[in-house]
Amino acid sequence: MKITDFKIPTRLDEALAALRDLGPAALPVAGATSLVFIPEDQPMTAVDLNRLGLDGIRRDGDAFRIGAATRVAALQKRHEPGWVLDRVALTLSSQQIRNESTLGGNICRVFPWSDFPAALLALGAGLVIRGAQEKEMTADEFFSSQPARLFRGGDLLTHIRVPAVGAGAGFGYKKVRQTATGFSLATAAACLQLDGGGIRSARAALSAAVPFPARCAAVEAALAGKKASEGLLREAALNGLSGLKFKEAEGMSAEYIGRLAAVTLGDALVEAWAQAKEQAS
Amino acid sequence: MAKKNFKVVNQPVKKLDALPLALGKPLFVADFKPADALYAKLLWSPHAHAIIKSIDISAAEKMPGVHCVLYHGNVPRIAHTTAGQGFPEPSPYDTFMFDRKVRYVGDRVAAVAAETPEIAEAAVKAIKVEYERLEPVLSIEAALKEGSPVIHDEPEARAVIPVPYEPKKNIAARVGMDVGNVEQAMAGAPYKLDNSYYIHMAQHCPIEPHVTMAHVNAEGRLVIRTSTQVPFHARRIAAQTMDIPVQQVRVIKPRIGGGFGAKQEVLLEDVVGMLAWRSRRPVLLMYTREEEFVSSRTRHPERIRVRLAADPEGTLTAVGLDCISNTGAYGAHALTVVCNSGSKVLPLYRAPNVHFTGTAVYTNLPVGGAYRGYGATQAAFAVESAVDELAEQIGVDPLVLRSNHHIRSGETSPVFAALGEGKAGVEQAIGSCGLDKCIRLGAKAIGWKKRGDWRKKKGRYRRGIGMCCLMQGSSIPEIDMGAASLKMNEDGSFNLLMGATDLGTGSDTVLAQIAAEAIGTTSDKILVYSSDTDMTPFDVGAYASSTTYLTGNAVLDAGLKIKKQILGVAAEMMEKKPADLEIRDAQVFARDGSGSVTFQDVALHSLYAANQFQIAAISSHISHKSPPPFAAHFAEVEVDTETGLIRVVKYVAATDCGTAIHPKLAEGQVEGAVMNGICYALTEQYLFNSAGRMLNDSFLHYKIYSMRDKPEMVTILVPTYEKTGPFGAKSVSEIGINGPCPAIANAIYNAVGVRLREAPFTPEKIWRGLQQHNA
Repeated sequence: MKITDFKIPTRLDEALAALRDLGPAALPVAGATSLVFIPEDQPMTAVDLNRLGLDGIRRDGDAFRIGAATRVAALQKRHEPGWVLDRVALTLSSQQIRNESTLGGNICRVFPWSDFPAALLALGAGLVIRGAQEKEMTADEFFSSQPARLFRGGDLLTHIRVPAVGAGAGFGYKKVRQTATGFSLATAAACLQLDGGGIRSARAALSAAVPFPARCAAVEAALAGKKASEGLLREAALNGLSGLKFKEAEGMSAEYIGRLAAVTLGDALVEAWAQAKEQAS
Repeated sequence: MAKKNFKVVNQPVKKLDALPLALGKPLFVADFKPADALYAKLLWSPHAHAIIKSIDISAAEKMPGVHCVLYHGNVPRIAHTTAGQGFPEPSPYDTFMFDRKVRYVGDRVAAVAAETPEIAEAAVKAIKVEYERLEPVLSIEAALKEGSPVIHDEPEARAVIPVPYEPKKNIAARVGMDVGNVEQAMAGAPYKLDNSYYIHMAQHCPIEPHVTMAHVNAEGRLVIRTSTQVPFHARRIAAQTMDIPVQQVRVIKPRIGGGFGAKQEVLLEDVVGMLAWRSRRPVLLMYTREEEFVSSRTRHPERIRVRLAADPEGTLTAVGLDCISNTGAYGAHALTVVCNSGSKVLPLYRAPNVHFTGTAVYTNLPVGGAYRGYGATQAAFAVESAVDELAEQIGVDPLVLRSNHHIRSGETSPVFAALGEGKAGVEQAIGSCGLDKCIRLGAKAIGWKKRGDWRKKKGRYRRGIGMCCLMQGSSIPEIDMGAASLKMNEDGSFNLLMGATDLGTGSDTVLAQIAAEAIGTTSDKILVYSSDTDMTPFDVGAYASSTTYLTGNAVLDAGLKIKKQILGVAAEMMEKKPADLEIRDAQVFARDGSGSVTFQDVALHSLYAANQFQIAAISSHISHKSPPPFAAHFAEVEVDTETGLIRVVKYVAATDCGTAIHPKLAEGQVEGAVMNGICYALTEQYLFNSAGRMLNDSFLHYKIYSMRDKPEMVTILVPTYEKTGPFGAKSVSEIGINGPCPAIANAIYNAVGVRLREAPFTPEKIWRGLQQHNA
């Protein structure tokens, strides 16, 4: 990335105006940790998003409202009932990167190995975008293809709304990599809502192993309304991904990565189930 | 010489360069860049095998800010080797500063020096090249196939010593030996195996990639500051390649950010030297990480056949080893690496019948070179895996099989005499050998006794323990030479000047300790200046695990000469005989207690008072042996049977390096080598597309371990005393990297019964092995 100019707005409207004026030459940055991945082709103007009040986490009813410029380290260090993103944050790269990298940056331009998209898909997060007006969309809409498409007109992701994982619910998150700070080979996230011993609803999502983060509809369908057991969860993951296309990685075949993703999703479902049982009462 | 009453040696003294390194002081090549330096960039071949039909540099030359453009049409065409080895080099002369042919993706095509890196980059892009593409040869098997394209068809390619060299068959080197008859021994043996193993390419990944700076000084001499392990070889080869006299070149080695063998290559000195020579401006060339991966050097991959046989009592009767290495596009270290696959591995176990062949083949892939372990790493994986396989066949504990057969103090091996580096080897009897104790202490630390059969293990996550035994060498006997010069200053400090090359290993500190111990002072009184071809005596450089052992002996000898001179001056001052004096703590005492003088008194007397002379000495050392350090390594791994994912739980490395001159630095060498070896075994690999282009040329996709990945590690130093080494020392720097591949392969087998004979051990390979079990 060739940065030839740098703008430091201090108000949201100022930032939005700058992004609109610059058009495709604008490069919104907060943590700036992914610049290294962006090829150096045309000159860009960086627009700093760190002084717009877009950082911070607050509880908002049954959900958490997270500013898009909130550092991953802040997600990692928060611990309270219903909050699960600390588990996701902890697996992202190294502490040095987590201190700088932001949640918004991690999801607005989705790289194959991005961590948060799968978690937000499984959690059913909402994404708040500011342009001329404020609008909220579901994670399913947001991640239906590269989110960067949403910001071409100068709009900006300002907040992420993440439901608290409450009574009878559980969240599971597993990421497999070869080295501690390496890219993910397979990332799986799952949310289960129990109803007594039965599964009222299940949400499952994968990233890294697949070309783009995606919900696992067949797995979810195989679980909804069933009596939960470890066997059922693992079987659903193993059998429910056959329609997905996997990609080879780090010298390993697509077939193997598919296997790895299925086992990893099974592990995430089992972890979600364990938490849901714990929170049953 | 007393063995154990060391005052400086065997102590963890402060590393001489610790403080400036920690403070980030300017110490490295690029730190010395003058303001008027030009930046150099190279144009790399996009093709694995092609003839340059035409090249047009005119647009690049005309760009404002461009001072020099080099290509095959405007530089001397001199065949040489980039391998920084003793002269005449055992590596073939098959390389030119620039050639009309390119032999791998990343081969040199042209070079530019310009005012800024941006201009240099733009000028490189402005060079127009027309290629005629040739069929690339991308594997050992393809290289050896009848009718395969010839990679080195240029008439100048030749070996400069009498060794087999057949470029028309893509063969860069051949070596071999036989004792007894392995085939016959195999034929009648009740226990035997004949297996093939493959071990892969890897990169050294020094923190500081290759970097070289050159300028022409006021006297018209070329001064090259470079990140090298071999300053004197760099001077010789740069002068040869540029076709200028050696006396016109001065090579200075500042601090080095790691080398691991990659910087035993004279890669950039010739072209940067030529750019500076032509432009008459200082020129700096720094490799990017991508260039370091593709266009520096790699570990030679090897395809290895191992044959083992044992008699009905389980006694080893035959060891056969056939290694074919892939040297890539050029033959740097081709002969010696594959030769070391035999010479540094086969002597470890006694067997009456021994067979070895080593063959190095050219391919259109990145170039092999020296890499820590140097062929021993490759063969140790194969042989130590096979030993475990044979032990299972016999029904004996693999630890016991190893203990029963490994070489011991006082014994010799026919391999030592048979395999040298480019000539016959040197017969030697083993002096010190602490391998028995390494095995015993290592086994205890890992919990060898609790190791069970994989068939009895249950559950998704299964643990296993594996081991291996290792040896290396200490210097190249009757070939390599190191020298040191010491002089006394008027305050009782000493200048130690050496060609020995501290590349981050701590050898400056280790050699200062040896000097201090020999003279009778402390290491902080030794001012070390290492590696400047104008100022320091000759040294072959830092390779072949030689510096402590080889240069250490030169330093020891110079130190003892200094001590004698000090005693002489003190005797004159104190009106005693030298024999009536002794040195302790930088002072000379009369044995009868009648008085003492300090080193400062002695120095002042010798420089100013009477019969003045400079207390100084210079010594050279050539070794007649290459005493092996020994090691026993143990790995405990955990395998996820659902996915094949593997984790090293604990690693124990017990090493006999003789006297550890600096125990902390020696432990650091072992730990660094082991970490290096673990990720080599598990995660490092070159991925190529079908046209021979490397796909993962960055740390994002080429996976090396960081401290976050470090398993529990136990480092045990087993002290022995090598009589031929300085204060009993042997080498420690290379041996540690040879262990993880076999120890982990054996541990995986012990965990889940999957025998992997192809490295690296990716989760997929383990999982597929498990699938075969289940099928």
